[in-house]
Amino acid sequence: MGLGLGAGSLLALSACAAEETDVATGGPPRTGGTLVYFEPQTFTTLFPPQAGFYPNGGIVNNITDRLLYQDAETLELHPWIAVELPEVNDDATRFTFRIRRDVTYSDGSPLTAANVVKNLDLYGLGDKSRQLPPSEQISNYERGEVLDEETVRFHFSAPAPGFVQAVSTMNAGLLSDASLDLDSTGYGPGQSGRIAASGPFVIDAEEIGTRLTLRVREDYDWAPPHFEHQGRAYLDGIDYVVNNEYSVRIGALVSGQADGVREIESPDEPRLRERGVQLHAAGTNGVNNGLNLRFRHELLQDLRVRRAIIAAIDRESIMRKLFTENYPLATGVLAESAAGYKDFGDAWPHDPDRSERLLDEAGWTREGGSGIRSKDGERLSLRVNTAIPQPRSREVMSLVQQDLLRVGVDLQINEGDYATQNLDAEYLDRIQLYHSMVGRADYDVLKSQYSGENRDVLLNLDEETQEYGDPELEELLGRIAAEPTEDRREAASWAAQDHLVENAYVLPFFEEPQVFGFRERVRGFRTEAVARPQFYDTWLAE
Amino acid sequence: MRYIALRIGQAALVLFIAFTVASLLLAILPGDGVMARYANPELGLSSAEIEGIRADSGADEPWYVQYWIALTGFLRGDFGYSVQSGAAVSDLIGTALPSTLALAATAFIAAALAAVVIAVLATYGRARWLRRVFDSVPSVFISVPVFWFGIILAQVFSFQLGWVSVVDPGPVESLILPAATLVLPISAPIAQVLIRSIDEVRAQPFVRVSQAKGARPGWLLVHSVTRNAALPALTIAGLVFGELVGGAVVTETVFGRAGIGQLTAQAVSSRDNPVLLAVVVLATLGYVIINLVVDLLYPVIDVRLRSGRAKPIPASRRIGDVDAAPRNRQEVAS
Repeated sequence: MGLGLGAGSLLALSACAAEETDVATGGPPRTGGTLVYFEPQTFTTLFPPQAGFYPNGGIVNNITDRLLYQDAETLELHPWIAVELPEVNDDATRFTFRIRRDVTYSDGSPLTAANVVKNLDLYGLGDKSRQLPPSEQISNYERGEVLDEETVRFHFSAPAPGFVQAVSTMNAGLLSDASLDLDSTGYGPGQSGRIAASGPFVIDAEEIGTRLTLRVREDYDWAPPHFEHQGRAYLDGIDYVVNNEYSVRIGALVSGQADGVREIESPDEPRLRERGVQLHAAGTNGVNNGLNLRFRHELLQDLRVRRAIIAAIDRESIMRKLFTENYPLATGVLAESAAGYKDFGDAWPHDPDRSERLLDEAGWTREGGSGIRSKDGERLSLRVNTAIPQPRSREVMSLVQQDLLRVGVDLQINEGDYATQNLDAEYLDRIQLYHSMVGRADYDVLKSQYSGENRDVLLNLDEETQEYGDPELEELLGRIAAEPTEDRREAASWAAQDHLVENAYVLPFFEEPQVFGFRERVRGFRTEAVARPQFYDTWLAE
Repeated sequence: MRYIALRIGQAALVLFIAFTVASLLLAILPGDGVMARYANPELGLSSAEIEGIRADSGADEPWYVQYWIALTGFLRGDFGYSVQSGAAVSDLIGTALPSTLALAATAFIAAALAAVVIAVLATYGRARWLRRVFDSVPSVFISVPVFWFGIILAQVFSFQLGWVSVVDPGPVESLILPAATLVLPISAPIAQVLIRSIDEVRAQPFVRVSQAKGARPGWLLVHSVTRNAALPALTIAGLVFGELVGGAVVTETVFGRAGIGQLTAQAVSSRDNPVLLAVVVLATLGYVIINLVVDLLYPVIDVRLRSGRAKPIPASRRIGDVDAAPRNRQEVAS
């Protein structure tokens, strides 16, 4: 239902809504109250490995605990359900965790060593018969083992150094034995009451497609030990309200009917700030929002063409026109705060003259006075997807379209809803330039985005022949996930990034944040490492 | 009796055709529910894993196999399971239907009242300017985009004036703005037809006769004109059911109301064919029932249609045919 209504004019309409009168109380956090939080989309599943989708993660992150806790700023790992960081053998194929024994799930069952193994077995291997896929963050998983009542060990068939961070993400949120027996349907909308986890909030009620209510777990007493705040969460509950219509979400926030809204569009930021709305921009710590050039396509096989496309695009002007300072210009393939970041600050200058030269050299000429270049009768025409979950993808692509047209490259923007975009993106002949990003605060994020085993955004793997267009890239990515030590993983990540940049496979635009808006009375809002809301410390001032 | 049996047979045929056409259209649409659910890049599944899930769930069967499975299922009263959530479609519809029925009924009653008020003011209004203003109201109403109007209502009455809550309304409160939104597209066609037929009926000789016998305008309006002018309006009221269904999709989306409209909007975006098929059949069924009721109501309102032999005139041919009615059998001779 995305009618292009100017949200600006609607905000102006509500200009005389009641002013927020709450001021900072400065006192200690107040316990009580329900937070009303707006989501643009309804969740699709609460199966933790599939929590990457924003609406899913926003819920899973608040109802589940994990073995380890990752600090969103430092990306450091801390004990949580595990009482200390795990013991890892030298080649990172065996991980031994000691776990707390005082934790219970909301259905009353205890969190035991056997239950932890049952969790990770399912997340590491998936279960085809129940249509539950494994977590993309756990590779080479073999099995889990209960050593004694408080010790578990996980075995891997190949080095899996990313596993330690993987158990800190919401994709490895721990569930009770009964919840782990559900099939794909049991995790879906309408069934949420069956999910029992150990987190600070518990699912209370659900109205399919429109509302999900969480209530506080009164006896919660196992927050990460390094937190100052222990015991129950401050809020009594959280109402996740789904509304597709952006202007209604913003209107509800400004008028005080809602406390928080996910996904504030950048043009509205100044106006909302004026009206006393607090904006919270959280980085997603992963592969930057950018354009991926699918080099296996015949038009993009020539390195000169790829370089020409990148040189033709004026990133700084796009950022200036469409975004605020909450959206930092990318200085690398990864965000600055991401694990494995390498600075490529000068790698993508805007140079249309160079672009024209490169295209001329590659034999693409403007014949017959038409604006679009061609070679042997074939036009230099490419198609890009619209990345619907990404901020202003459509607008970014229209500006890219103009930049490319100036150097004689035709860019078509793929139309269609989310399902259509995802379907088209799987085919090289439909989408040659792919706009996307992915968040995960671990070196493995690069592999998640580019490997043929995972998202494969470059479509490096040819599905028919099962061969890689660039086997070297796949090998470099594989090394990131397989090197046993931190230093060597970083080196592997850098090598893969060098390869991506030198071969002009990617043009990063910006470090994608998730921008939240909250009423003034909301305090202590935080996000986890990839910008999903974490309401444990949140409280409502008087 | 034979007439009703015939109508029920017709209805079954209409349902079957609607089901088949909807199945074909959904089959032509690119993508399917499994793709929409699992090929989401944010889930990070490789295409091999997605193919596996498609094969397991039967989504890669050819369309005619899926059509046959769905059709036989429907005949047995089994609407299948939502691809998106896995919930039984009958459960989904069952939970969504009451709220949509409440909305539709409220909106329809409000719209019918609004239509009568508009039509009376446009025809019997005291001042000429008043009549002219109200005469143009239906065309204005019908040109207003429902989606936009809903947002404006929410902005003004909820976010600015704070009279009703959109986020956390009570059961009655939650009906006010969505129903008000729906009044526009529904009342407009009814009012338009009502105005036209009041004008036509008023010009007929039997009204003049009554007038000459001393009937005052008010008495005339209630006893002679309304009854005769109601027929075409009733026909149109049956036809605006379509507006009601479409309007529910829009208003439930704007106001975040759970209901058939919301269910439909989400099913479309997630290619949830079993849910869509059930909604199509349900809407068709509603359409058929309403028009059957309207047809059966004709003889109740109009004695001319009560004769045993004469077949009631089908709804589609009754719009504005007051003039065509025989003029020598007026019952209002007084």
